[in-house]
Amino acid sequence: MSRATRPPEGPERPRVGGTRLGGARSVGRRVAVGAAVLVGLLVLGQALLVAEVDPRKLVEGLGGVFRLVADGWPPDPAALPTAGLAVLQTVDIALVATVAATLLAIPFGAAAARPRSGGRYLATPVRAVAAFLRAIPDLVWALVFVAAVGLGPFAGVLALTVHSVGMLVRLFAEAIDEMDVGPADALLTAGASRVQVFSHAVLPELLPTIGSLALYRFEQNVRSSLVLGFVGAGGIGFQLLSAMEEFQYRQASMLLLVLFALVTAFELGSARVRRALR
Amino acid sequence: MTHPASRPPPEAARRPLLAISGLSKRYPNGTQALDRVDLRVSAGELVALLGANGSGKSTLLRCAVRLVEPDEGSVRVGDTELTGLRGAALRRARGQLALIFQQSRLVRRRSALDNVAAGALAHHPGLRTALGGLPAAERARAAELLDRVGLGELAGQRADTLSGGQAQRTAIARALAQRPSVLLADEPVASLDPDATSATMALLRDLAHSDRLAVLCVLHQPALALEFANRVVALHRGRVVLDRAASEVSPADLAAAQVASR
Repeated sequence: MSRATRPPEGPERPRVGGTRLGGARSVGRRVAVGAAVLVGLLVLGQALLVAEVDPRKLVEGLGGVFRLVADGWPPDPAALPTAGLAVLQTVDIALVATVAATLLAIPFGAAAARPRSGGRYLATPVRAVAAFLRAIPDLVWALVFVAAVGLGPFAGVLALTVHSVGMLVRLFAEAIDEMDVGPADALLTAGASRVQVFSHAVLPELLPTIGSLALYRFEQNVRSSLVLGFVGAGGIGFQLLSAMEEFQYRQASMLLLVLFALVTAFELGSARVRRALR
Repeated sequence: MTHPASRPPPEAARRPLLAISGLSKRYPNGTQALDRVDLRVSAGELVALLGANGSGKSTLLRCAVRLVEPDEGSVRVGDTELTGLRGAALRRARGQLALIFQQSRLVRRRSALDNVAAGALAHHPGLRTALGGLPAAERARAAELLDRVGLGELAGQRADTLSGGQAQRTAIARALAQRPSVLLADEPVASLDPDATSATMALLRDLAHSDRLAVLCVLHQPALALEFANRVVALHRGRVVLDRAASEVSPADLAAAQVASR
């Protein structure tokens, strides 16, 4: 038998051992998977307990929901002017906040982008501040600004601006990190300053992304500004809360209907604009 | 065109616009990319730089504009010593050297004209250009430069709609907008088809001969070097192993320099 075809001396034992070892590995793997499933179930179980999830309460309460819906039907046409004004205020809060946040997030996003040379002495603190701004929910910011500037839409504008800056700085910085650096390098080697490179090579490439992210943020801010009204930061939320507290369900349903129509129309429109921006 | 070297007297023509002396670069991984390289390029001269992959051609160009810091040696452009400069002084000096890349590196969403005019940014510091504006005079000059490279009709077209050859010629016009005395081209025809390759090489030769620029062009094809260049320089493992007039270079020379003759 040639050396090539003769089985080497030792393989018998390792092969048997290998099979046995393989079996041990698969048993170990099954135990690990079982343990992971058990831990997952325990975590989910405690979550259900802590969150006081009780389907019986839902079934018992369904009648109340139906009653509420029935009481709100048909929406009260007399509430339409109020609803229109409140919706306008909600959208305007979101609009001002989004524009302000976008303008602020462009320079800070550039500062937060990963530097291609030199240290991270600017990027790291800017990223940390942005992370802090977005870690605090906009509702909490609204409470802070209601205390600072009083009840009304301006508190809502400030809350949404601060939270949106935190979000947009991160998204803009990531967009800059991922973009093709060739055009920027070409202008740098031609002697342009870093600010010129940003405005002539980075910003033009980034504008569609900025526009798209700002529009998406605007959609989210319209929804958020609804909730901010509950803590007194203006807009339709405040009207909705008042109507519910006064049991004016037909007025509340009209407010929701107008809001639904507006958000749907806006989502359709912004999807088209985003496609056009590409 | 108002290049500093336009219509120079014969002595000035012989004086090198780009003088690289004793340039060495060793990368952190131990690779000796450049080993005491001496190279001179005069006004009106197109020098082809040949060499296998890893021979140090691109490193030489990058060291010349200080995108990569050389370990030792000097780079002189006209009367300016580039090594040792920093900040605004380095930016001003870099303005004399224009680099053309393998890819055109145009800003895709801007017009050919805007891309070309942006080449002159170094001459216009200030708020207006910082905010994205360009002086009307530079836009007019950009239109002339696009005419010069044969793309006058495409001035308003977005850069991402140009063909590879058109984009590369736009990039050359952008380099000219810089008002350089030296053009450094890093494999400018590597991604072009044969027709665009010939047109681009003819343009570079014309810029050297008619506009009296000093042109140093990294090439992979010796045939192009022999056809278009005045002088051929070959690098091997970071050293200059051939530096001769193109008309005197034989296939044996190229083989000795370990540059494949194609």
